[in-house]
Formats: sequence, structure tokens, C-alpha cells
Amino acid sequence: MSAAQQVAENAPVIGNPIPVGAEVYNRVVGFLYQEATLLDTIRLKEWGATLAPDLVYTVPLRQTRPMSQQAQSVIRTVQHYHDNYRSIMGRIMRLTETRSAWAEDPPSRTRRMVSNVQVFATDRPDEFAVVSYLLLTRSRFDFPDMDVISGERNDLLRVDGEGFKLVRREVILDQAVLGTPNLAIFL
Amino acid sequence: MLTKASYTLADGTPLSDLVRVPTREVQMRALSDPEIYQLEMDRVFGKTWLLLGHESEVPNSGDFVVRDMGSDSVIVARAKDGNIHVSLNVCPHRGMRISTVDAGNTQIHKCIYHGWAFKPSGEFIGAPVEKECMHGKMMPKEELGLPQARVTLYGGIIFATWDLEGPSFEEFLGDAKWYFDTLFERSDKGLEVLGPPQRFIVRANWKAAGEQSAADGYHTLTLHRWLGEVGNYSKSGDGGSADLSPEMYGVEVSSPHGHALRCIDLGRKIKKLSGLDPAELTVDQKLEALPPPGMTREMLPQLRKHLSEEQLEVMVSMPPQVGGIFPNVLFAFVYIPQADGSVLGLTLLHAYVPKGPDQLEFVNWVLAEKDAPQELKDRMLMQSIQLFGTSGMVEQDDSDTWPHMTLAAKGARGRRSTLKYQAVYETGAPAGWPGPGIVNEGFTKDDTQWHWWLYWNELMNAKA
Repeated sequence: MSAAQQVAENAPVIGNPIPVGAEVYNRVVGFLYQEATLLDTIRLKEWGATLAPDLVYTVPLRQTRPMSQQAQSVIRTVQHYHDNYRSIMGRIMRLTETRSAWAEDPPSRTRRMVSNVQVFATDRPDEFAVVSYLLLTRSRFDFPDMDVISGERNDLLRVDGEGFKLVRREVILDQAVLGTPNLAIFL
Repeated sequence: MLTKASYTLADGTPLSDLVRVPTREVQMRALSDPEIYQLEMDRVFGKTWLLLGHESEVPNSGDFVVRDMGSDSVIVARAKDGNIHVSLNVCPHRGMRISTVDAGNTQIHKCIYHGWAFKPSGEFIGAPVEKECMHGKMMPKEELGLPQARVTLYGGIIFATWDLEGPSFEEFLGDAKWYFDTLFERSDKGLEVLGPPQRFIVRANWKAAGEQSAADGYHTLTLHRWLGEVGNYSKSGDGGSADLSPEMYGVEVSSPHGHALRCIDLGRKIKKLSGLDPAELTVDQKLEALPPPGMTREMLPQLRKHLSEEQLEVMVSMPPQVGGIFPNVLFAFVYIPQADGSVLGLTLLHAYVPKGPDQLEFVNWVLAEKDAPQELKDRMLMQSIQLFGTSGMVEQDDSDTWPHMTLAAKGARGRRSTLKYQAVYETGAPAGWPGPGIVNEGFTKDDTQWHWWLYWNELMNAKA
């Protein structure tokens, strides 16, 4: 069974939308804002603490396809990211515990704008499916060009005390050819 | 033999002055000058064989992908006769791009502007309103097809060139083919892609990546130091030392056509895996201890059907692990140490497609043996993504470096600085080395990259 199939088999059934402003909705938005703050301020170990040990973290490729073949515009074989908890923690270790993670040293200045948040109940009382838009700006060195990464996050959050843990994240990017030289940053 | 012709750049500098042969230096303006870039599009990318993909990307009649040959978009399509054709993606009518998508399947490539239609082979089918003969009466239909590049398949990898009369792909590889065959022509069914390639833009001249692919082993020590600090090599070798330099010894093969292979000593890995001195093991025992990247032990009998005993000797002692095919291809057939003490082999190809003097598109294909079990392909894919390409922890450092070289090459003084390739091998091939080519043994040196530049220089200064 491929990794993509495993993810599909372990996914909960998506239920009803949770209204904007509901208590759970607000807590989810708070989690996403806090997460954006941790990543933008490069508090990567604190961000790592919000990840569930069964995390699956993927960023599919995109292809330009005709209107009639839009399902094929998302590629889940080769992807830009295909990680689990262990490998994400390895990436965090590289970025925080070495003095040679040059792709982010000096670090990029980033802003993660998270919006259009929709929260759905699932058939598991403690897990919520969350769809949101991500607009990430990335500035490196004294380069005048600002890299822009835009996409849709499809997350699964699990209740953890007062907060949540990220169980699943798939980021559907908008560019078929990325305009940034690498994804040394988390989306 | 190519003959030299003098060409003078706009500021009066002879083109032949960029590469200074006696001192092994290259003027940095080569990494940013738009005039040099324009010449390269004809003299390098118009003359050499270029990597476009793998035939497993277009398995069925009508399948196509859109790729680049230098600065030109091309349609790579499988026609009804089963052959792969590479057609210029420009409508001969009014110059519209014929295919505006990345991939698909069709027997009719129809231009959306005026509707001229072409077969996957590039042949002109016709134009709308046949009775009015809208393609005119001045040129026969046979002359209105899409310009065809010359195509070859090597281990299923699609290469094409606009140089219709030039050397064959085999001649282009030359002596280096003996080594490349150990990677691409070693098994019954060959390699396949595990999906479409990753693609991303790096604001750097294509040669910053291209010359590195010609087997720059030295940069690994500093740029990829993390591998020894916390990465896959941190627990191998001598007690978690961050020193990667033992991995830098081996044999380097270079080519008068700019191809390069770094053949890295496998002895320590085999010793660790088998517990035995590699010097006392047979070729078969070494293959059994550590099969080539992407192959299983069950597949090993296939090797002898395709390769010579001499090639197998190289594969089990100093296999080619990274290197390049001139001008803009990198291969990585690497043995990655795993946390559990095992080794996972990865097989990748990159193309660094020029997108202007200070921009390249990084195209990364992840490959596997067709015959390999799905479970192995899945592990190879995941590890490839984590170490190479877009988010790869190794190559993200490379793609962050090349833009600085390109910017530096724009400075009024910086453009006159030189890239230096003065660490010269003094060893030659190891005793009894069975392979051909320009071969040197020892710690990685600059020769392979220097030979890359010499071929670039030869092409740039050749008479058109």
C-alpha cells in the first residue's frame, strides 16, 4: 500500500461545517494564528511540540492541465514535501541544532497570512478537518524580490487539552513551477 | 574537429579570453552576461544532447509532456508508431504556443489561435476551413509540420538535440558511457520515473548549477556540513564525527565532452554492513552486502546480463555516485545511511534549464528500477523528497548559494573576478583500474569541473 493510500485509509469521515464564531471555530483560528506566529518568529521547536506523533505532512506537485482534467492537476506521487513526524523533527533539528543549515541561515523573513478558515466536524469527536488559505511572503538577504507562496491547507487537528495537535497537513500550492528556490521553510 | 573562430563581445573582450587555460580560471562575467547567454543558446544548447525526461512519462500512444530545450519549449510525444517525437512547441502559422499545458494525451495537438492541427509526430494535419485552403498554396503541407529535434533513448531516458548532423548520443558520451551504463543500462526492465518532476525557479545562471554538477565533491564538506553534524552521516564513520572528508576519497572520471562522474569508495560501507574486509570479498559477496542503489538482492543476477566483469568491479568498489552529463544534467545514484544501520539507495536526475542569464528552472526526476518492489519505491521516493529537490535538506543549500554567485558576477569588479580550478590531480588512475576515460584517484579535485569548462569553451568558440 502506498503512503498516499495509507493516509486515505486513516482519514476520518468529514462531517458538518462548524459555524464561524462557534467556540471550536474560534479555538481552531487561534491555533492557526499561534502556529503562524511560531513559524514566522522561527520558534521551530515550539512549533514541533504542536505536531502529533502520527503526523503526515505533504505538499503535492501541481501541473497545468485543461479544465476537463483538473483532478490531474494535483500530483501526489512525487511531491515537494512528503514527511512524517520523525522526518519533520529531523528538519527542525537541522535548522536549530547545526550551524550550517545555510538555506535558512541567515533566515528568511516570512509572513504567513492564514484566512478563509472553514472547520468541519468529523466522525471522530476529538478531530476536526480544517481548510484554510495560506499566503506566505518570504524575503531573503537584501534581494528586492519577495517570494510569494500561495495555497490551500487541508489540515486535520486533534484536540489536545485546551489546544490542538496537527495530525495531517496537505498544502495544495498554486504554482506548477515554484517561484522560490527551495522549501526550506514549513508551510 | 571543431575549428576556432574569433568572436568579440560588445565591450571588446574576445570570447576566447573568458576561459584562461594556463591558469585554469574562468572570468565570472560568464555567469551573468546576457550576450554570453544568447550565444550559449545556439552554441551550447543548440549543439548538445539535452535531457527531456523518461519514456515512462509517456507510456501510451498520444501521451505527451511539454519540456524545454534551452530557451525553447518542445512537445515530447509518443506517436501511434510507438516512437517518441520532440517537436518545437511553436505554431508555424503565427507563432502561438501550441500546447499550453504540462502533460496530457491527444492524437491532435491543435493550436487554440487559428486551429492548425498537428499529430504527436509533429506532422501538419490541416487548418480549419479546408475548402479555402487556409494554410495557403505557397507551401505544401509536408513543409508545415513542427520542426523536429533528433531524439534518442538511453536507458529509457529521453535526450534530444537540434544538431541533426552532429555526433550521436553514444559519441557524445564517449568513454564516459562505460560508466553511465552501470547506472542506466544495468537491469532487464530499466528505470522508470516515480512521478512527474519537481520544478522550481532559482535566480541563478544555469552554469552555477551546471559546473557544480560536473562532480564538485569539495563543496560537500562545507555547504552540506550538516550531514555530518546531525544528518545521515553523523553516526557513520568514526564515532559521529562531523568530518565528511573520508567520503571525499575515490576516483573521478572526466570527459573531453564535459561529462563527469564521482566514483566514491564503498569499502567502509561494505565493511560496516558485512563485518568483513572488502579486500577479501568477491564481487558477488560485495553486491550481496550492498546492492546498487534501487536494486534488490533478487535483481542482482540481471547485472551480469548487461555489464562486464570490469564494470561490476567498479560498481562494488568505486561506483559512480554523483556527476553530470554536459551541459545541464546532474545524476545522483547515492547510498544513504539509515538510522537502523542499513543503507537506502536513491536514483535521481536533474536538469538545470536556462531561463535567462540570471534564472534557471530546477527540474528533478525521482527514478526507481521498474522491477523493484513497491515498498522499496515508496521508501526511495520519500527519502528522495526529504534530501533532494525542492525541500530536500541537502539541495536546499545549493539552490540558496547559486544566486549569490550570479549576483556577484554582475559587479563591475566581480565580473572580472575568476572562478578557479587550480586544485589539480597529480595521481592518475589507480593501479589496475579497468575503466576508460580521464581517470584520477584520491581526494576530490577540480579536474572534472575544469574539463566541463574546457568543453563549454570549445563549443562557444567553435565556428558556426
